[in-house]
Amino acid sequence: MIESCPFEPNVIDAAASGQWTESLRAHAASCPDCAAAAEVGPWMVSFAKQDDREHILPDPAVLWLKAKLLQSSAAVDRAALPITRVQIAAYLIIAAGWAALLTWKWNALAAWVTALNPGRLAEGATGAGGATTLSMTVLVTLVLLASATVMVAFHAILAEE
Amino acid sequence: MTADIMFAPASFALGHADTERRAPKVPMDEAHFEAFYRKIAGGVWSYIYRLTGDPALADDLLQKTFFRFLRSNPAVANDDHMRRYIYKTATNLAFDHFREAKRERGRPIDLPPSELRADRGELRHDMMRVFSELKPQERALLWLAHVEGSSHEEIAESLGVKAKSVKVMLFRARKRLGEMLTKKGLAP
Repeated sequence: MIESCPFEPNVIDAAASGQWTESLRAHAASCPDCAAAAEVGPWMVSFAKQDDREHILPDPAVLWLKAKLLQSSAAVDRAALPITRVQIAAYLIIAAGWAALLTWKWNALAAWVTALNPGRLAEGATGAGGATTLSMTVLVTLVLLASATVMVAFHAILAEE
Repeated sequence: MTADIMFAPASFALGHADTERRAPKVPMDEAHFEAFYRKIAGGVWSYIYRLTGDPALADDLLQKTFFRFLRSNPAVANDDHMRRYIYKTATNLAFDHFREAKRERGRPIDLPPSELRADRGELRHDMMRVFSELKPQERALLWLAHVEGSSHEEIAESLGVKAKSVKVMLFRARKRLGEMLTKKGLAP
């Protein structure tokens, strides 16, 4: 391991203050690291003394408050994460439900929707034509899916607000 | 829980000694933070400013440094440990800025920022110009060693390099600065 010179801090201090002891000066002359430190030390000190700050630093109270607000906001996001996940799962389940229902009963649903016009309904009422009906299972599934869709949509809208 | 104590439990392990690890961590409250900030912020600002050469950027990075510090759930600990963390964070943020600027512009940051050219004090201008010609890592090394009085281990921690590399890197940075000062007739 490359060891740093134990006198380096003393040399840096001496170069900064200009107060050298004979032994330290002799050491700096023989140690390449300390010689380099002594060479640039006074310049670095005068450079550091140049006052560049012409404006006031940010108020610590403001920084504290901002950090607190950011912390709260992050905490809210963390707390809302499970809700968001459930919401996304609900969207996926409902979308999958609609896709399954439409695929499974497309013909029956298409016929039922076509039958939903005043002329066909009147024919059905008078018994002139064959009324198109859905099975109870399909009807219940349809109602459940529609209700779930409306509920999720409302939840999303209310949560946004 | 009082309104002042916002970070609990404190997960920010600043202490290294075994005794500090075992001691219960006291979350830093606003009064502690304010006292610590007033003690250290001026020096940190100067450090970031000498690294970046841009006072507005130094303000920005100073705030980010302390936000990051507060976000790490600091516990009341030895000032020296917190100081090291702050300088390490400030260095990382400044170097991140250099990397980002280099990526955006497609070239290394080797030109002094416009603020330096428009600076008012001639001496300050010259000094800042010389310093800005050094590589960012060389600037950080020299500032930490000569102004902050950091040890090689502390510098290594701040810059994220091996402690044994600091000796060589610091020697090269000093030599480079010395040559530049001699060349420009600014050597003391």
